[in-house]
Amino acid sequence: MTERNLTYEDLMQIVELVRTTSQFSEFRLKVGDVEVSLKRANDAVRPAPMPRETPVREEAPAARHEKTQASFSENLHLVRSPMVGTFYRAAAPGQPPFVEVGQSVEPDSILCIIEVMKLMNSIEAGVRGTVRQVVVENAAAVEAGEVLVAIEPLA
Amino acid sequence: MKAQEQKRFDFVDVTLRDAHQCLWGTRMTTQMMTPILAEIDRAGYSVINILGGAVFDVCVRYLHENPWDRVKLLCERFSTPCDALTRGQSLYTFELFPDDVVTLNAQLLARLGVKVFTVYDALNDNRNLESSVKAGREAGMKINGWMTYTLSPVHTDAYYVERTRELLALGSDYLCIKDPTGLLTPERGATLFPAVVQACGGVPVQLHSHCQSALAPRVYEEAMKCGFAAGYTASEPLANGASLPATEEINAIARKLGFQTSLDEDSLREISGYFRWLCLREGKPCGQVAQYDPALYEHQIPGGMISNLHYQLGTMKLGHRLPEILEEVARVRKDLGYPIVVSPFAQYLVTQATINVVQGERYKTIPDEIRKYARGYYGRVAAPMSGEFLDRLNLKSNELVTERPGEHIEPGLPRLRRELGPGACDGDLLLAAFYDKALLVPLEKPKPEYRFRTSPLHELVAWMGQRRDIEHARIRFAGTEMTFSA
Repeated sequence: MTERNLTYEDLMQIVELVRTTSQFSEFRLKVGDVEVSLKRANDAVRPAPMPRETPVREEAPAARHEKTQASFSENLHLVRSPMVGTFYRAAAPGQPPFVEVGQSVEPDSILCIIEVMKLMNSIEAGVRGTVRQVVVENAAAVEAGEVLVAIEPLA
Repeated sequence: MKAQEQKRFDFVDVTLRDAHQCLWGTRMTTQMMTPILAEIDRAGYSVINILGGAVFDVCVRYLHENPWDRVKLLCERFSTPCDALTRGQSLYTFELFPDDVVTLNAQLLARLGVKVFTVYDALNDNRNLESSVKAGREAGMKINGWMTYTLSPVHTDAYYVERTRELLALGSDYLCIKDPTGLLTPERGATLFPAVVQACGGVPVQLHSHCQSALAPRVYEEAMKCGFAAGYTASEPLANGASLPATEEINAIARKLGFQTSLDEDSLREISGYFRWLCLREGKPCGQVAQYDPALYEHQIPGGMISNLHYQLGTMKLGHRLPEILEEVARVRKDLGYPIVVSPFAQYLVTQATINVVQGERYKTIPDEIRKYARGYYGRVAAPMSGEFLDRLNLKSNELVTERPGEHIEPGLPRLRRELGPGACDGDLLLAAFYDKALLVPLEKPKPEYRFRTSPLHELVAWMGQRRDIEHARIRFAGTEMTFSA
């Protein structure tokens, strides 16, 4: 068999032709030495309907923002996200959270991580006090300026 | 009269590694490679590069292939020496690993059949190569030391001569200038290349450059004239653009200049035919010759990364600020002491620039990884960092790292051996060092069947067999007839 007769160029041409004639039930091609004939299954000729993507119902960030960013008591120190990103309560999956509600923190205590474009930003408390509320769910998307943690400063 | 001995120029193939990393997001499977391996082996390459960081990582995360199995299979199939590439003390990922893990990795690669062990560090801090080189040499591999080219006021010819001396002192058998974004020009090559060749004193020098600026073939030509021993190239359909230059084109240039090369043009044609067909079959792009773009020399960000950044900014509704951010990237790079715009530092620069632009105040927020970089955790920073950045960073003196980065990492193998039990093989220990358990579960799936030869006819028949709409086919040529029915 002199396989060298069929080149990759021939192959690509045949394949392109077979692909572009998929609406026909029969295909016959003769170029030089090469002859290809195909019969297509009748029900396969009509293109299968594309699977419809089910729209994912996602709460608009703005709505969630309003809900969770409700008014905070004035005496609380609010730690906000510096950037659009993802909020994490622990250094890695499976590890304990940096802080829990009721825990005392120092100004340089790390409260959480905001992941921005694959890099991790440790967010510090900024004040000495007690954690009163962790506002955002772990692994949630956050907006710039969104309140993450509320701390009651030590008087 | 004795005929003058003809000069040689050798070729290292990157089609199975960097080429699809640049053009296909590293998605070439072992099954796509096996049918053409015999032809690649025959083509006359001096070395075949089969492994690098992205190949390893994509094998695990996306292709769900055990990368050690691929390395073993390719080394068994090729009689041409196989080359594996690792990135400093990070090997295949962006974390730093302890010396015992780095050492075991080199030993395993050698045992799987790797003959050339290529090492480089993204900061050109060659202390990060010490563990790998020592273990690789002891395991019997040749050491190929790379240095990464970039443009900055500190990355002068003298800087690269200094790096050359370090790589030679480490005991490199070959040296290579790696230009990941195609920033080299023939003009720069005319001063840089002779300086490096001279410093090498007979140790062979190679060039590994990409085609983003479309100048690579001319840069390879300059390298040949300056006495380089070899160049890295890819089969033509997977060359150009973000990839490396085409073997066919560089071979023609070498022969025109009077060099002897060992490439077989019929083999090259067969290989490029297969890969062109593979692009069509798999719906993947072939490389396109890039247009010359002077802006590349300012921001230095690879094309693939810009499109990725544009997408990321779009999801944050910041797409319209891309030009501002690119300008800020150049300023951040200067402030940070000119890191090379290559993984992972390219991402650091882009993210810091985005944060600076969006916050409207520079360095108000500094990601933890950039803090580590500035502390010297990953290695030496090339140039002094700016006062503005350092003031904001507010490093304490006890945070600064001056020793070799591998030294501040606890050994990892004792813990892994305890966790995996005494029966664990080295490959599994290393995978457990690099990845979370959950990521490794899909690697257990049974291996597909591999075909080790092919021809256009084989491919045609296999392709038709995959089409569900075809119930009957007949192929006739050159006195042969084949009929298939569903």
